[in-house]
Amino acid sequence: MNNIRIALREVIPNRLRTTSRNQWPNLTQTRFYARATSFPDYFQNPIFRKEDQAKLIENNELSKLAAIPVKPPAACETSSVYYDPLVNKVINHVMKMGNKQLARSLVEKAFENIKRKQIERYHLASTPEEKAKILLNPKDVLHRAVENCKPLLQLLPIKRGGITYQVPGPITEKRSLFLAVKWLLDASNDKERTVHFPEQFAWELLDAANNTGKVVKRKQDLHRQCEANRAYAHYRWQ
Amino acid sequence: MRLSSVLFTAPSNISARRPQREPIPFQMLLPLKLKKTVSGKGDKLKEAACMQELAVMFACFKKSEFDQQQCLKEVSSFQNCYKDYYKRAKVQREQGKKGVLVPGEKNLTHRQVNMLLRSFPPKP
Repeated sequence: MNNIRIALREVIPNRLRTTSRNQWPNLTQTRFYARATSFPDYFQNPIFRKEDQAKLIENNELSKLAAIPVKPPAACETSSVYYDPLVNKVINHVMKMGNKQLARSLVEKAFENIKRKQIERYHLASTPEEKAKILLNPKDVLHRAVENCKPLLQLLPIKRGGITYQVPGPITEKRSLFLAVKWLLDASNDKERTVHFPEQFAWELLDAANNTGKVVKRKQDLHRQCEANRAYAHYRWQ
Repeated sequence: MRLSSVLFTAPSNISARRPQREPIPFQMLLPLKLKKTVSGKGDKLKEAACMQELAVMFACFKKSEFDQQQCLKEVSSFQNCYKDYYKRAKVQREQGKKGVLVPGEKNLTHRQVNMLLRSFPPKP
């Protein structure tokens, strides 16, 4: 269906497109490219969420952006209520060879597993206090899991006097998010062949959301190593 | 006894292999004035940022067996400190790169100093 829509967009000339909008209310904002495209680096990333656009209008920055060329948003980047940047990020990390459909189905299957397990727990819980504690929304579980897995520090190899020291230092927000998602996927892929990925991923997410499990241990191990090497911390600044 | 060795080690103004004879004549190898630019070698940021917060956080971690939940205050103070430092360094870097002069700024980067020197060249 989507393909037909896109094909139609290409066929319908600009003038007609506005009139046909009523007929095709679901026309997406994405543009169709025959092959992977790359844009020069002065192209800005698109701002496709309504709340972000509202913020721009509030700060009077819209007119500044209007003169700059902007990349078209990807097909998955919509202003739908179901869009979640973190979920999209995880899907992109799961993806292999550009097969996004499969990656998305795997992550969604994992979400389904989480939902089933949490509902089971919910019905097994006896008191209302226990019930209130259980996270039923798989996206909330994912958010909490990633938050618990994010490292605070990193070790950087710095060479001093012919010896490479592992020097602890602060980590950027972006890199800590990357490491958290990577560690979660590493832990999920470290499994028996008979266990499927969505099942293992669901378990890892639930464990991490509970602040236990392999990934949280890995983060704590990194912190321990940083603590052991704290004597070298001042090498960062020399 | 050989006299030649004494002759060859005596101070001389001709041979560069012997000690020079006082007074040593002055030679001007470089022009005797300051350059119109400064080099940027000593301009790297050497501030040891957030070491205090890091130490406090490690102490808390050690006390609570690396459970982050018990050290939320220390963790957030460390992260805020790093965020502030990063922001400051970024602003300084950008302004330094452009050579923008900030009025009232005491610590100038080499680009800013060069900018100043270019606009007010030192008299020869």
